[in-house]
Order: sequence, then C-alpha cells, then structure tokens
Amino acid sequence: MRWRGLIAFAAMLAGTSFAQNHSDHDMAVDRAGVVMNENLSALPRGCDEISRDYQLTIRAGRAYARGVPGMTFAMSEHDVRVEPCSRIEVTFVNEDDVRHQWMVHGLPKYLYPAGMFHLEASGGQRVTGTFIVPGEDRSYLVHCDIAQHMEKGMRGQLVVGSGSGDLWGVTGVSDQFYRSSYWPRDTYLWVAVALLVGFLASVRLARG
Amino acid sequence: MSAGRRRWLWLIALAIAVAAFPPHWYPLPVRLMFTAWFGAADYRALPSSVDPRTLDPETFCPADPSGWRAPRTIEGVAIAESAACVADNPFAVAAFVKGTNNVTQQTLLASELTADAVVKGRDLDGDGDPDEIHIRLEVAELNGGSPVSSLPVTQYDIAPGIQPGLWVFAPKLVGMAVENFESQRARSALRLPSPVIRIEQGDRVRITLENTHYMPHTLHLHGADHGFVDVDGQGNDGVPITSEVPVMPGFSRTYELTPRHAGSMYYHCHVQPHVHVMMGLQGMFIVEENRPDNWLQTLNVGAGLVRASSRAVSAEFAREYDLHYQDFDKELGERIRRYNDPRLITQSMHRDYDITDATPDYFTLNGRSFPYTFRESLLVGQEDDLIKLRVVNGGMKGIALHTHGHKFSVTHRDGVALPEATVVPQDVVWIATSQRVDLALSLRNDGLHAYGPGIWPFHDHQPQGITNDGIGPGGNLSAIVYAQYLDENGWPRTRGVAWDNYFTAEYYRKEVPVWEAYAPGLFSEAGTDWWLLARLVGLALAIGAMVGLALTGLWTRAVGGKSP
Repeated sequence: MRWRGLIAFAAMLAGTSFAQNHSDHDMAVDRAGVVMNENLSALPRGCDEISRDYQLTIRAGRAYARGVPGMTFAMSEHDVRVEPCSRIEVTFVNEDDVRHQWMVHGLPKYLYPAGMFHLEASGGQRVTGTFIVPGEDRSYLVHCDIAQHMEKGMRGQLVVGSGSGDLWGVTGVSDQFYRSSYWPRDTYLWVAVALLVGFLASVRLARG
Repeated sequence: MSAGRRRWLWLIALAIAVAAFPPHWYPLPVRLMFTAWFGAADYRALPSSVDPRTLDPETFCPADPSGWRAPRTIEGVAIAESAACVADNPFAVAAFVKGTNNVTQQTLLASELTADAVVKGRDLDGDGDPDEIHIRLEVAELNGGSPVSSLPVTQYDIAPGIQPGLWVFAPKLVGMAVENFESQRARSALRLPSPVIRIEQGDRVRITLENTHYMPHTLHLHGADHGFVDVDGQGNDGVPITSEVPVMPGFSRTYELTPRHAGSMYYHCHVQPHVHVMMGLQGMFIVEENRPDNWLQTLNVGAGLVRASSRAVSAEFAREYDLHYQDFDKELGERIRRYNDPRLITQSMHRDYDITDATPDYFTLNGRSFPYTFRESLLVGQEDDLIKLRVVNGGMKGIALHTHGHKFSVTHRDGVALPEATVVPQDVVWIATSQRVDLALSLRNDGLHAYGPGIWPFHDHQPQGITNDGIGPGGNLSAIVYAQYLDENGWPRTRGVAWDNYFTAEYYRKEVPVWEAYAPGLFSEAGTDWWLLARLVGLALAIGAMVGLALTGLWTRAVGGKSP
C-alpha cells in the first residue's frame, strides 16, 4: 500500500518503534464504542492557536454505498477539508448493525500515539471525539480498519489546508490504483478482428 | 537471391542442423550401429552441483515477551500453562470464562475484546455457573485484495510465505484488523480456524452473527440440538433455501439454542456452502456436560489447548485439546485477491469456480501447516497423562489420523458416546468430511497405549495431507511431545535434521532441494549442461533458416515475376 509503505519507511528512517498493541494509547471505551487519543487542547508544533473549530457528523454504513457500484460500505463524507491548526469534533454515527471505525493516521506522534486518532462505533451507536490537526498542508488517510471495509468503500481523506494531493482509491474522489478489468465477454473477439483488419489494410496500402 | 544460391544455403543449414543434433537423441538403431563401429563416446563429467543458496530462515519459536504461556490466575480464573511456543492471550481466556460483561476494564482492554463479545447472564439452574450465554461473532477476510495494493491485506501465514485467501468467523475485537498501522499482518486473534465455541448442556445460548463481511452469510449449528425456528418463529437453521434469508453485509442476526445433548459438534456458514465452508467459515461447537460450578471457556481462539477446561473433562483428563483439520484449494482462495469488486468476486467464486474440478493444496491443523504447527499445536504431556482430543475434519477430503508411538481410543463419534465394547486402542482413525471424533490419548508406557517419552508425530496418513502444495514435510503434521523433550521456550528438542530450510518461503516455493541441508553435494541442485543448450540453439537456428529459405522459395515461385 503506497501510503502505508511511505509512512512505514519514514518511521524506519526516524528509528521509531511502532505501537504493538492498544495499551500505549489513551483510550476511552464504553458500550457505544471507542475514542482513542482524543486531544482537546494540545497544539501541534507550529500552531500558535486554534485557527477554527469544526463540528462534523460523519455517518457510516451500507446505506451510503447504495448507488456506488462495486462498494459495500461507505461514509456520508469521504473528502473532509479543514483549515490548518483547526480543532475538529467528529460525531461518528454508525447506521449498520456491525462495528465501523473512523480512523485518521499519520498525525504527529508527539501528540497522538502511533500517529492515530480513532473513533469506533458499535452497531447503531454514535461516538464523539475531538482532535487538532497540524499546521502544514497535507492529506491524511481516513478509513475503517475492519477487515475489507476500507477496500470495499470506507476509504476517505482528511485534507488539511490545500492538502498534499489526493490519495488513491478514495470513494467518490479518486480512481483505484489497481482497477479490475470490466471488459465485455467478447473483448478478445473484437481485438482479434481489429488486429486482422489493421493487418489486411496495411498490406493493401503497401502493395497499392 | 537466386534459386541456386538459396538451395546451397538450405543445404548448409541442413548440415549445421545434423551436426548440432545431440547424439544422445539419435534413434536407437543409429546409436547401436555407431556403437558397433566406434564403441562408446569419450568420458564427459556430468555437470557439478550448484552451491547452496544462502537462505534467511525465520525464527522457529518467536519470543513470548508478554508471558502468555505461563500458568496464571486472572479474575479468579485459573488458566493452565500453554507449554508450546505460541500461546493464546490469557486475558482473553479469562474474559471468555467470566464473560466480557463481568471482568474489570483492565482485563477487558488486555483481552482486546468488546464488552459485548461474550455476555454471561443468570444462573438459571442455581448450580453456580451462568446459563445465559450471548456470543457475538464477526466475519473477517484474511489475505484479501485491495484497490490500492498488490499485496494481500490483513495477512495471515499458514506456513512460511503461504497466504491463501480465507474467510473466518472471528470474536468481536476492539480496534484495527491489523497489528498496527505500519503492519499489514492480522492481529493474533484474527486467524484461522474460526474460534471453537464451548457451551454447557442446557445453557440458553444466543449467537449473534454480525456480518462485517461484504458477502451474505449464515450460521448453521451442525449436529447441535437447535430448533428449526426460534422463539419468534424466525428461521434458526442457517440454511438459505429452507430456513431463512442470509445475513446481508452490515446486518446481524441472532441464532438460539438450548442443547439437551452434550458432545463435539460443528458450526459453519450455509450460504453457497461448497465455497463458504471451504473458505474457512467453519468451527468446532462443543457442548459440555452440565456440572455444578462449570465455568467454560466459551471461545477457544485458534482451537488447540483448552486453558480452562470444563468440570467433566478435568475430572477425567489431564488436558484437553481441540483439533480442527481443514484443507484449502489455492485456486479458490486466490479469487478474493484477483478482484476487489464484490460482484466480480461473486462471479468468480460462485460461477467460474467449479468445486467438482477442485483439489486441495494446503492442509491445516488449527489454522497452520507444518512447520508452524510445531509452534502452537503440539500435544504436550507427561508419562501416565490421559489427554482428551476433540477432532473435526472440516476439509473436503477425508483424513486418516495417525499417531506415532501411541494407540488412542475413539470414545465418541459425532458427539455420541460409543459402546464400551467398541472402544479399543487404534492408531489410525478415518474421519469423514465434517465428522467429529473424541479421542482418549493415554501416555501410559505399557507398550500398547504408549511406547514411552519422545517426540512422536501425529498426522493425516493420506499422503497429500502432509505436504504444502505437494512439498513435504508440510500439511497438518504435528507431534505429541513429552515435557522433557521441550525446551524452556516450548520448542521441541528434535534429534533429526536441521529445520532451517523449512522456515523459509523459498522451500515451499519449490526452490530448494529437499535434502540439500544435510547431504550437500549428493542431493544438491544439479548443474546445467550449457554445451547442450548451445547445440539446441544451433539446431533451432538452422531449422529456422531452412524453413525461412523454403518459404521464400515458395513465395517467389507463386508470385513469379511480379515483384520488382
């Protein structure tokens, strides 16, 4: 995975060790779900003050994938855009009967253990958490990390400022990096006929 | 080019072809004739051996920094030692015994489970243990596809470098599917096989299937006493064609049972079962006899040793193991990686794939194949121990389970006790697809039940079952190991050949000569005969020239004087 690979490589260069389990995180768990690494007030380096406060409601579930061909789960918003140094209160509403997550990765590790801010809502539940984004323009991956949920639609991005270019495969935003071939069944026939026509035409032209 | 010149060139090419033709390939009469005239050809040494490759084997036995193997008491639950190298999370074991609703926040966090993963309620018969059990299961895909990666996601290795696409029922865990954000490896509790479910006879059990997967699934309780419909009149058998509509992605459904009969049963998805069961949606379902104060380990992640045994089993046996055998056709599993779109995956798995043409390639015991079986699926005991084995064969082929150094007795078949007179020592038992047998394995050194301490393999005696896609040793091979043959990390002190090559992906990719490690030279990779290659290239060039010259001759004759 392009983005994950980059992060892993950068972390390797920095010589940091990765969190192996959840015990390193500041974690609040209740029946509704989990809020991990909430940050209400600590400013990232380079931010003098909170530039702006956002209150977002992100909804998730199979309903948001309706009308998105080839996807099973999705979110109400896959392209979240905020100002640098802003504080974001996210209310994550899970409309399915199964768990879903809203996870941001790659945040500064001095504020967010393993660089993560993570909301998890049990089926039919809502959870609210707040975090503060750094000052530089950058696009962060936002996803649900239940097996195959990101691959089947729950892949979004958090664009801070003007961002750092769209991530691949964001539902409704960017193309898939590896795209299946949806060619019709008779494609081979069409290609074979085209090859033959091209060959015969060139022979005809060369002799004429 | 003139016709005469072309003819000369053709004859030269023919002469080169004849000269290049390897003499060993001449027809037998010709070779015999030459032998009569000239005798044998001169000595040419056979190609020498290729130097062995330098491989980088994995650590046989990974460290256990959290001390999960040691015996301990958590929340008042006595958790037995897990002697083999890799052990289950004891906090999860404690939470499964007490109920995730009855443990401290600390234990729950360490268990990695959600608070509603296994909820235990009232003691209905007043015998000191809870009889209302509510289990929640999710569905996880391992080694799946991705629209942004060419590598499998949520990776799970059954053996070095072997990552078949799998679907499993999974306990309800908090957090990510992978170890951490920088890793693509599945976390330890997300694994093959689906967890063993263990309940007590007479318990009021509810199992909620929370379908986190992108395909429809159900739960079918094979062999366990359950009503065709539940109390609300809803279908409860898990069979789409006769009982109920499957659980669609993002939906959940609760199955109910109050089993009257104890025994080793089985559960599996019943949606397109020829595919879904073979992808891994199957687990053991154990109904324990009702006893007072009988707190059960409701789930056994990855099967294997039961670290908190039931009253009935611990009264009679030193230890109890759940052994879940499976087999996998790699041509099925790879389909979830070939496509990302569930419509294309569905077409590929349910229309293009033909199970009647299938052959299994991988053979697992408790979700791993050799050599990984030796990390976690060893049967560990001491002389005179009596060990209970519950065995299910979830594979498409039957297995002929065989123990070295021991004769076991089959006490139950399909969860029903066999008549005393038929319970006799044997060392091979045939287990049909989906069949369960309970075995009593005695370590009494009497020359019949056991032959004394050692490292005694046990495995499917059908030959394909002890390979990884045809490469041996592999498959469901594991061992009965007496404690004195185990080192302090839980790795067996084997006395045979070095295992380094078995812990490399290259070995199972068929790139390493099987005996090279201990017979270098004698069984190394044979060198190549470059002289033979040179002759064949010369032969091919000459034949190509002959055909080309012949065709241009024909073309010139056909077109005649028209070309300039």
